Amino acid sequence: MSALVANARWELIRLVRSKRLFLLVIPVIAGPVGSLLAFLYFAHVQANGTLLTHGTALTLGLFVTGGLAGMVMLDLGALTVGEEIARRSHMISFGLPQSRAGILAGRLLVVFGLTLGAFVVGGLLVWPIASAVVPASSGEAAPLFDPVHLFEGVLCLLLFLGAIAVNASVLTRSSSEALVAGVLAGVVTVALAGWFTYEGQISMLFPAVLLAVAVVALLWSFLRFESLDT
Amino acid sequence: MSGGEAFALEKVSKRYGDLSALSEVSFTVREGEAVGYLGPNGSGKTTTLKLLSGLTRPTAGSLRLGGIDPAKDRARALASVGVLVETPGVLPYVRGRDLLEHIAEVKGLPVHERGAAVVRAAKRLDVVEPLDRPLGTLSTGLLRRLLLAGSLIGDPRVLVLDEPTLGLDPAARADLRRVLRELRQEGRTIFLSTHLLEDVEEVCHRVLFLRAGRLVGEAPVEAGAEDGATVRPRTLRVRTSSASPVAGLRALLPPEVELEETRAGREFLLKFKGDEAAQSQVVRALVTGGVAVSRVEAVGSDLGTLYLQKVGREDAA
Repeated sequence: MSALVANARWELIRLVRSKRLFLLVIPVIAGPVGSLLAFLYFAHVQANGTLLTHGTALTLGLFVTGGLAGMVMLDLGALTVGEEIARRSHMISFGLPQSRAGILAGRLLVVFGLTLGAFVVGGLLVWPIASAVVPASSGEAAPLFDPVHLFEGVLCLLLFLGAIAVNASVLTRSSSEALVAGVLAGVVTVALAGWFTYEGQISMLFPAVLLAVAVVALLWSFLRFESLDT
Repeated sequence: MSGGEAFALEKVSKRYGDLSALSEVSFTVREGEAVGYLGPNGSGKTTTLKLLSGLTRPTAGSLRLGGIDPAKDRARALASVGVLVETPGVLPYVRGRDLLEHIAEVKGLPVHERGAAVVRAAKRLDVVEPLDRPLGTLSTGLLRRLLLAGSLIGDPRVLVLDEPTLGLDPAARADLRRVLRELRQEGRTIFLSTHLLEDVEEVCHRVLFLRAGRLVGEAPVEAGAEDGATVRPRTLRVRTSSASPVAGLRALLPPEVELEETRAGREFLLKFKGDEAAQSQVVRALVTGGVAVSRVEAVGSDLGTLYLQKVGREDAA
């Protein structure tokens, strides 16, 4: 537990000193603001006959905020372990009296916690903004995705992307390769989600599978990290 | 030296794929002992240190650090060990104080003691000023000293150091050797892997020679066994511009100086044990005694000769 706390604190120091902490502002501010701009645009188009419902606005806002949070998750997830291994500064942390599982757990706690937290804040801000710009009305068409389900699904997607990036960084010992692996995983996931949506088969099973893959990838990362040869 | 076992390797082998880095290496280092670990590049020195630091696991054999196998219980085995293996990379944006305080936290120092422990270690290595600078802005020598300061945090009983004087200028190297001698005199166990024979001569009680992953010998180091810093065996080659009889020279020199004539009346080897001042006294005794000394040169130490015998000419420093 002490290793976990020490490494969580160390990860926070890294985020502050490297100024990567500011990346977390993106989903919190750019997500809702980007959504607002999109709502205003669609509201303008709606006035000219195109339909934007409250539910569709929420869906759009969560996509914008979730996409930005995904990029942040990929970046921080790839760097949290990959940067140290690539720079060989893990020679310091591995030589200290602490378990490697504690090192990894402490760092992931901060990166995953902060990024998911940033998405939650940004995503929740989408609701009042959407309500202000496109008020809910009775009898409006149901959106393509249930906003609450989408909110939960994006959380699973973020965990999936982070886990893939972390796993790839442990396997490849490189943060840049981990970033590429995470981006590719994201592209494949979005393509699959698009296909299932097109086929009308998208359900909560999809994010559940992503979550399961994330758990497996993280467990694999812990195992590999424990036996990582220097 | 208190004499208990600090750490031990028993028939330890390490392979990286087809490459055998270490082959059935066995030795024991006792508490309070300072042991040098000499060998050419690729002989397995760093691999040994990585094993001792829990950075990697042996392919075969066993090792104990304070009676505990670091591969099985890294946290407990490394609790009283300070480690500096190779030249670790650093995160350039992190500050020295951040890193050292993190090390203090991991080593279990209470919050209120961490700041003082960091400053104490930094003072010892003269790196207090750079503590608040990003690591990426420090010179190689400063960074090395800062990392060494990190290895001293938590007052470790055992220090496992890989090329600690690498990248340091001569003055900083001398300072570091002084620090290592102080640590040795405080009763800490020091395991020092290096290419520099002077490091071993000035710090260590004993030296182990490694070649191609195998231990090929060991020897006591006289100077290190004594408390007294730079006292070590020295050999001077003295040339004279006019013929000087051996008996004449013998009469001028203190009795503890061994004298050997290598070129009739013109060249002599003087062997003795002492520091720089003793060396000057020997030369002065000849000059003031009227010997026409034309040239004086220090020749390789006994340890250097032994190194060449044990591991060959490659990389002899």
